[in-house]
Amino acid sequence: MVGRTIVSAALVFSLTVAATATEAQDAPKTFTIGAHMPLTGSLARSGQAFTEGMQVAVKMCNAASPKFQVKVDLIDDESTPAKAVSAVEKLSSDGAVALIGGYGSNIIGPASDASDKLGKVYITAGAVSDELTKRGLKTFFRINNNAGYERGIATLIGDLKPAKVSIVASTKEAPALLAEGLEKDLAAKGIAVTVHKFDPAITDFKPIINKIKLQDKPDIIMMSAYENDYVGIIRAAKVLKPNVKLIVGTWSLATPKMYTEFPDLMNNVVGTSFLPFPVEVKDEEGRKFSEIYKQSYNKEIEYLSTLSFVETMALCEAIVRAAEAGTLDKGGLAAEMRKTDRNSLLGRIQFDETGDNPNFALSMGQHRDGKIVLVSPKSAATGEIAYPALPW
Amino acid sequence: MTELILQALFSGVLIGSVYALVALGLALAFGAMRIINLAHGELVLLAAYMAYLVESRTGLDPYFAIPLALVVVAAASFVLFLLVDRIKDHRELNSLILTFAIGIILTNAILLVFASDVRTTASPFLQDAVSLGDLFAMRSEIIAFVLSLVLMGALWWWLKSSWYGRAVRAVSSNRGAAKLMGINPTRIETVSFLVAGALASFAGVALYTMSVVQPATGHALTVKAFIITVLAGVGSIPGVFLGAVLLGVTEALTVTLASSALQELAGMVLFLLVLFLMPNGLFGARARRG
Repeated sequence: MVGRTIVSAALVFSLTVAATATEAQDAPKTFTIGAHMPLTGSLARSGQAFTEGMQVAVKMCNAASPKFQVKVDLIDDESTPAKAVSAVEKLSSDGAVALIGGYGSNIIGPASDASDKLGKVYITAGAVSDELTKRGLKTFFRINNNAGYERGIATLIGDLKPAKVSIVASTKEAPALLAEGLEKDLAAKGIAVTVHKFDPAITDFKPIINKIKLQDKPDIIMMSAYENDYVGIIRAAKVLKPNVKLIVGTWSLATPKMYTEFPDLMNNVVGTSFLPFPVEVKDEEGRKFSEIYKQSYNKEIEYLSTLSFVETMALCEAIVRAAEAGTLDKGGLAAEMRKTDRNSLLGRIQFDETGDNPNFALSMGQHRDGKIVLVSPKSAATGEIAYPALPW
Repeated sequence: MTELILQALFSGVLIGSVYALVALGLALAFGAMRIINLAHGELVLLAAYMAYLVESRTGLDPYFAIPLALVVVAAASFVLFLLVDRIKDHRELNSLILTFAIGIILTNAILLVFASDVRTTASPFLQDAVSLGDLFAMRSEIIAFVLSLVLMGALWWWLKSSWYGRAVRAVSSNRGAAKLMGINPTRIETVSFLVAGALASFAGVALYTMSVVQPATGHALTVKAFIITVLAGVGSIPGVFLGAVLLGVTEALTVTLASSALQELAGMVLFLLVLFLMPNGLFGARARRG
């Protein structure tokens, strides 16, 4: 009797062990990606949009990879460089295989330095400063850059052939660099350019716009700034009504959200964009992203969330490739990142020796009564530009 | 050039009047209790978000949000006072730390409830341009200017002529002596904080109508209000207005005559210059001389 019981117990035990072992063999291996985003502080708006895009990318990446899964450990960097650096160190010590950076060149710079010292791959879609790719870091990657924005804006303005352009630029690093680059590009095209740099703390733009109105007398006002600045600048222009033909801006301007929130200020304003609105996504991945994003957040995909989606997909796929090749824990992720060559909502994604994406280029979209029409370059245009055309 | 300078002066006076509106509450609490309320900007911001709430939910003009803002901000101000009042040792220093922490909590609470998006009024009436000859402004700026003058006058009258106002001044100049005269300092300080909250409510609503607000705006407002309070000199209401207008005009002229990138720097240079030449502020020194 006792012998039979022992045999039964042994049988049950071995079956349980075998089942557990099979289960362990079948269970996908999960890797952690560390992310620091500005969820609070002055850049919170960008951080939240980035986080949304990142979460959708993780869902889609995991659905496509049954063997290897990723999860994200997220830390709020509070829009400050010091917090971003400590977030990188904490995430790395907690076992993150790679890191996704938040927003702002001044924050990404030190955070990616810290990541490089720890030997961890670091990718961002929120830092366009040229200086970042001149540091010779082997673990730094980004999908967008200043050159792409500059090309998009310079192409549009060059095609319109204005005699004079006034650039109103924030003194923050990325807008200031973009303004400097544009000044050179446009001057090379024979266009007279005046640059008005302003402190980001400014809320009343009337003195600047009045200078533009009475002294510069340009055809186009170009804004190299952020959302709150755009609202202030266009409002001041609406009050003083300078005799210009078009108002152009950069990131986060030609978005449905800006039109919804500031309909009286946005009509006919042009900004960098990659999709028209209503959204017309042509590829399968984009359609899926758009669908899951809408289900998850009850809104259409937007500029920042799309940037974040694309960078996370590129990283996630490289992690899966490195894991399959067995090189993930042997420093092989950076090499896999460099092998990236994929199409995306932002166009072709590749990384050069410096970690930059040489293919990054944006179209220009114009707000038209709640829609966004791609107006430049001609190859991507979905309609003709309204010019001269102003919000007032 | 004359046209440019005149517009800069006009814009400077208008923006200065809003700075004054923001600084009044801070100056009152500072004058009455010698406490620098580092959460004052966040109280102003809270009122601005009340204006957003009323406008976005009801479609009403943001100025209709003033009663709601008064209730919410005065309640927040009262809670703030209760916490500050619990500090028994090193009140001036510890209240700085406490109010700074409360400011951070308020900012994050606003962020949680209202998200991080940029908010401003959608009212075309308030955004319409008003011209006085060759000078231009938004209608909301003119309203804020008038509101600032009216509130300044009301506060001046209250401090000068009402019993509570005189009691505030008495507690401000000598807490112990005021107590001996039968004034309850805690009650007077509570009233000061409530009035400061009420002023922050008006300032927040006015700010929402003429500028953009974000959860991170509060800290910058506190810094601006602090600069103006020090420029003015403790306890001087006209000083707050003049200090604020001086700051606004200096900033606007810097943009016009030099570079817009130097605007904030010019304000700080003015602040340091006044501190260096008149350590008690513009009006504080004059009062002492008198």
